[in-house]
Amino acid sequence: MAEAGSGSLMQLDSHPGSLRAWTGEIWERRSVLGVLSRADFQGRYKRTSFGIAWSVVVPLVQALVLTVIFARITGVLQKDFGAYVLAGVLGWTYFSQSVQSAATSIVDGAALTDKVWFPRAILPTVPLLSNLPGLLATMTFLVVALPLLGGSISVRLLLLPAGVLLLILFTWALALVLSALHVYFRDVRYLLQAALLMWFYITPVVYPQRMVGKFSALLDLNPLTGIVALLRLATVGATDWVLPVTISAVSTLVLIAIGIEVHRRHDRLFVDLL
Amino acid sequence: MTVESSEVSPLSLDYQSEAGRQPPPNPRGADAAIEMAQVGKRYWKLEDRPTLVRSLLPFNRPVRSELWALRDADLRIEKGEVVGVIGRNGAGKTTLLRLLAGVTRPTEGRIVVNGRVAPLLSLGIGFQREMSGRENVFLNGMLLGLTQQELRQRFDDIVAFAELGDFIDVPVKFYSSGMYVRLGFAIAVHTEPRVLLVDEVLSVGDSAFQVKCLQRLDEIRRTGATVLMVSHQIAAIHYLCPRSIVIRKGRVEFDGPTDDAVALHHEMLSVDADADASGEGGAPSDSHDPQFIGGASIVGRTLLRDGREVRTVKPNDRLKYRIRIRFERPVEDPGFQFRLVGPDGRWIYARHTPLGLKHRSIRAGEEVEVELEFSARLGHGTHLLQCVVITPDARGTFATDVEGLHFFVEPLVDRWGSVELDGDISVDGIPVASLPQADRPDSPASEVTATTV
Repeated sequence: MAEAGSGSLMQLDSHPGSLRAWTGEIWERRSVLGVLSRADFQGRYKRTSFGIAWSVVVPLVQALVLTVIFARITGVLQKDFGAYVLAGVLGWTYFSQSVQSAATSIVDGAALTDKVWFPRAILPTVPLLSNLPGLLATMTFLVVALPLLGGSISVRLLLLPAGVLLLILFTWALALVLSALHVYFRDVRYLLQAALLMWFYITPVVYPQRMVGKFSALLDLNPLTGIVALLRLATVGATDWVLPVTISAVSTLVLIAIGIEVHRRHDRLFVDLL
Repeated sequence: MTVESSEVSPLSLDYQSEAGRQPPPNPRGADAAIEMAQVGKRYWKLEDRPTLVRSLLPFNRPVRSELWALRDADLRIEKGEVVGVIGRNGAGKTTLLRLLAGVTRPTEGRIVVNGRVAPLLSLGIGFQREMSGRENVFLNGMLLGLTQQELRQRFDDIVAFAELGDFIDVPVKFYSSGMYVRLGFAIAVHTEPRVLLVDEVLSVGDSAFQVKCLQRLDEIRRTGATVLMVSHQIAAIHYLCPRSIVIRKGRVEFDGPTDDAVALHHEMLSVDADADASGEGGAPSDSHDPQFIGGASIVGRTLLRDGREVRTVKPNDRLKYRIRIRFERPVEDPGFQFRLVGPDGRWIYARHTPLGLKHRSIRAGEEVEVELEFSARLGHGTHLLQCVVITPDARGTFATDVEGLHFFVEPLVDRWGSVELDGDISVDGIPVASLPQADRPDSPASEVTATTV
């Protein structure tokens, strides 16, 4: 019974396993997460000349374009606007890229899930990890280039890891929920695409939140507002952050709880719908 | 034993009561490798898939009907057993394997699988085309549940088994399909699985590798692992599995000796074919599997050499395989197809009467003697002769003699292989056979007798 090591006894009935069993299994199969993430990461930059450099260059170009355009539109002429926009764009890029591939990950991974068992929550987590080197590289770039962009290196930078952590957790929360939902409703992919288009503009990424006047309070309800605020607080400083960050943290926790519960209950049934 | 129902059914009942197949209400799973109690899996057959909007609307809900892919399945397989799973397409075989692989959970009942499962449902799961064979060994191996360290230890064995050599560092997109399959199989069998689920994978790869796969499966089995094997090649199941279960329309209809399981399967094929024929279309039968009509059975089989019955023969012996077929219905000009199954379970030869041959009308109750005369240009090992009685156009079968007749071909000391080609070697133009030879032992096979499964 014990010959093949732990986890060698599989017992299945019509009921989902306990939360403890679910988390235990994810921990046990964490190497699958690692190897799939590495494959995803390598697959993305294989046979490109600049490899991971692209993950820095593309958001930089995007931030540059947006900075120029929105500096004109909004008339904001503060000298650190470049750093201001870049901090937001980098967070946003990670979020939107990861969520988009995570949402369809279980359906896209049908070739795997049909044949071999591992906790399905691993699949929507893969893009979070495979996009992580890009995020860390761009964040490092941001910190290094901060003086050039009109910002300044200060002790507030210690908040940057907290901002990045909240960003990752919120992205994971949404990834869990959407990936499960997408198995049942294939509209999710397109709804998400449309939602992301709008979401970008209701998040104060390319404009200062105070600019929208009385709608500013509404923006606080957007979980990404708090995350962007935290990233900015660390790099540019001087932002209202207490309320939005609290809202982000709470909504992240709630969504993670929902996501885990959905996966715990349904993950062995996803394959029936692929 | 024939395919006739009156003989099969009581036997199958006997076996079941004798083996005490009552499902334990609470599977203990202590010594069994696989234990299933009252397992059922329901799928919803939808007229069309639900969409977000339609499932939110209170009206216009998608019409759905339930479909039990498997129901009331009780199964207990001890460690070290090799069990075949037989059934038509869509009978529930794949659902059974998926449940045992744990990729889906049952709608009712309980399953216990004791030990690491290697689902050989398809080989090379998750292979990344751009990545090298080496990288894919780790990717695939971890998906199958191995740790990085375990894979490092077994890496050389895996590469050696897959016969890939330097190709291991080449991206798998440059692999031939054979290399791809070899690598996939090599990884799967090196996970030291305690339970192997085999689904048709043995039908891929070249024949030499197939033999190697079978040998490896046999080795794994001998270490006490359990093998559950689904195959449409009944011959392969015959070869590997002493015990088989028959699944029909989601139910485990039979669990017992493979001979009886195969006979029952063919009997049920004919019943189902009748049901399909009598209205509502039914499921189309396999295109390569002619419609089973029934109405004939093989009542006698003899293998003759120089007029004497034999079961052990020498390579190149001229043999006559004589069978007696009893027809229960009048038949015009039936055709006959003989098949020879080699020691590895594959068909290596088939010979049939010309299509549309006119020879005679057969009355109901009449017996016909058919003879295949052939030279046993065969290598060493146990071979199986089977006969299929077919309609003149080969679209239907009256009888399939799955049991057939086993005979043993003795080995020759100076040659090896699955065929005997009468090879001769000469050195400097002088045939070796004419040269003086050292004392040569006679063929060692005199004490070996034929195996009758």
